[in-house]
Amino acid sequence: MEDFLYFFSFQDASIGFVVLGITLLGIGSAFVGTFSFLDNKALLGDAISHAILPGICLGFMLAGEKNPYFIVGGAIASGGLATYLSSWLKENTKLTEDTIIAVILSVFFGIGIVFLTVIQKSGNPEMAGLNQFIFGNAIGIVERDLWIYGILSLGIISVLIGLFKEFQLLVFNPEFGKAIGLPMLSIRMAFNTLMILAVVIGIQAIGVVLMAALLITPGAAARFWTDRLKTLLILAALFASISGIFGTFVSYTLPQMPTGPWVVVILSLIALLSFLLAPKRGMLSRFYHRKKYIDKTQQDHVLKSIYKAEELGKSGLGLNDLLQIYPHHKKGILKSIKNLEKTGYLFINHNIIKLTKPGKMKAKRIVRLHRLWELYLNEYLNIAPDHVHESAEKLEHLLTPELEALLENRLNFPKLDPHQETIPRDHDDI
Amino acid sequence: MIKQNANPILEIHDLTVSYDQSPVLWNVDFSLPSGKLIGILGPNGAGKSTLIKSIMGLIAPSSGYVKIFDQDLDKVRDKISYVPQRESVDWNFPASVLDVVLMGTYGKLGLFRRPGKKEKELALSCLEKVGMTAYVHRQISELSGGQQQRVFIARALAQEADLYLMDEPFAGVDMNTETAIFQLLQEMSQSGKTVIVVHHDIYSAVNYFDWFIMLNQHLVASGPKNEVVTEELLRKTYGGKLNLLSKVSELIRQKEFNPLKE
Repeated sequence: MEDFLYFFSFQDASIGFVVLGITLLGIGSAFVGTFSFLDNKALLGDAISHAILPGICLGFMLAGEKNPYFIVGGAIASGGLATYLSSWLKENTKLTEDTIIAVILSVFFGIGIVFLTVIQKSGNPEMAGLNQFIFGNAIGIVERDLWIYGILSLGIISVLIGLFKEFQLLVFNPEFGKAIGLPMLSIRMAFNTLMILAVVIGIQAIGVVLMAALLITPGAAARFWTDRLKTLLILAALFASISGIFGTFVSYTLPQMPTGPWVVVILSLIALLSFLLAPKRGMLSRFYHRKKYIDKTQQDHVLKSIYKAEELGKSGLGLNDLLQIYPHHKKGILKSIKNLEKTGYLFINHNIIKLTKPGKMKAKRIVRLHRLWELYLNEYLNIAPDHVHESAEKLEHLLTPELEALLENRLNFPKLDPHQETIPRDHDDI
Repeated sequence: MIKQNANPILEIHDLTVSYDQSPVLWNVDFSLPSGKLIGILGPNGAGKSTLIKSIMGLIAPSSGYVKIFDQDLDKVRDKISYVPQRESVDWNFPASVLDVVLMGTYGKLGLFRRPGKKEKELALSCLEKVGMTAYVHRQISELSGGQQQRVFIARALAQEADLYLMDEPFAGVDMNTETAIFQLLQEMSQSGKTVIVVHHDIYSAVNYFDWFIMLNQHLVASGPKNEVVTEELLRKTYGGKLNLLSKVSELIRQKEFNPLKE
């Protein structure tokens, strides 16, 4: 707790720097990543981030120390080469995109590991921090690093805001962009450059292995919450920054703990929560709506069964008779009866269930929809009377009053369904 | 039967187009008058979309050239409007109907500039023309096929062009939409715009268009309705591919390079 307060009060200027850096980095990579996620190119970011390892090592070898300019320069060069190679391979061979990505990723990363081993064997005392580039260590960021990563992040963010409509077109309909005369090829190249830069700025804090998660997961998680591109970008940036800051905090409190994995853990948690809780698209909301729908169908079935009994001249339906009609849904039926009684659609008298007036209206409507639909299937779709029941059993819960009116009109307010049963209306007796 | 025009709005000269080497359009050569509603007819794989895409410069031809308003395409792009096939985009993209129609104004805006109030008003008036005013803020994935097609046409209208190229605007739309779109196209051509439409159904095409381009990997006919809609030309268009042409295409495909490329 003490650590928490100390960290988040930013008493230590260097912590403030790191948090600022990781926030900018989060926003930049979430922006770029969201576009590439929407473009169905999520894996390209993974390939690029693995592919910059040899560049980092070469930069280190040339400088002989952990000089951020050499390392960033090397990373950009090898990321650029990987991107260029992947589009060259796509144009000039018949290889599929996933094959190309797998090849680029493994070849470059393999070479990177070879270089890393060579450096480690060389006995250069400066090489100690180099392992951090694999899994990242935000606390290792010093002021000199921050300047270069921060400026790059700001650059990425401003280019993305400036070229917002061009990138939107690039993802949604690049062919149309070309047709209206926008330089789509240059825009694609600009985007690829941003992608490489977004990966490069993350190498110190997140590391090459997990950088792809910071690119893609924020956008993927935010997609559950919104259908608007601008909101999507803002949410993604927020998710990325939160997890970045938290990951840094963990690295700060537990010195041996790398930042990247923790950022990914938090991000995955946010993604999981989005997947579960988001309204409309989330699992819980879908589950809830399904449950509500099933409850409604069971209540409809109860009302319908009592109505049919009354139709046959009985004054109600015995509880046991009702349960026998739906032998597999006893629990649900009992619950439905309780709820319907509470809402005033039926009442129970000596174990006989009877409809109240509003209950009868509701029941009539269900039976009416059922029989209207049966008649419609029979008359308009030429389906035999003994084949129409199943479909009507489902649609009686779904049809809207507008569709009901349309059915009535089409069928000219019919009296009987295909089984010669009366189609009940509100003003009929019984 | 190929009728050339003295002052064509669009001139196509000896255009040959190949995909992965194998030619899909052979030596297409025609010119079109302005202010007409023009239908491109042909069976599946006849090269109808390919023709439109090469006019728009989206596919580089193996040989030949296209001139529009007697100029190179790049000089007159702001006067040409293009409606791609509806299936060519991912409708799950997070955008509203208005967002998509606004894209029609991007060409005139150029790089960096954002659409403002003027563009928004233009987009809204285009949506009104296609009868989609009620759906301005709707997410595009929630639209029906016919509505999506209307959105694409509204986007093309927002380009405020003189020449319109539409790739299968009637594909997969309901009868209501088809009639509404056709009426709109008619109004456009009456006000002097030239509209070129790829269409797959010959029966309705005869009622819709006043000039026809008939394709079957090569140009079968180009001319006014009463001169080219004949049994003989329709049979040439729809009566199967020329056997020899297919064999030559196959031969070229098996080469290591494209011998047709200049």
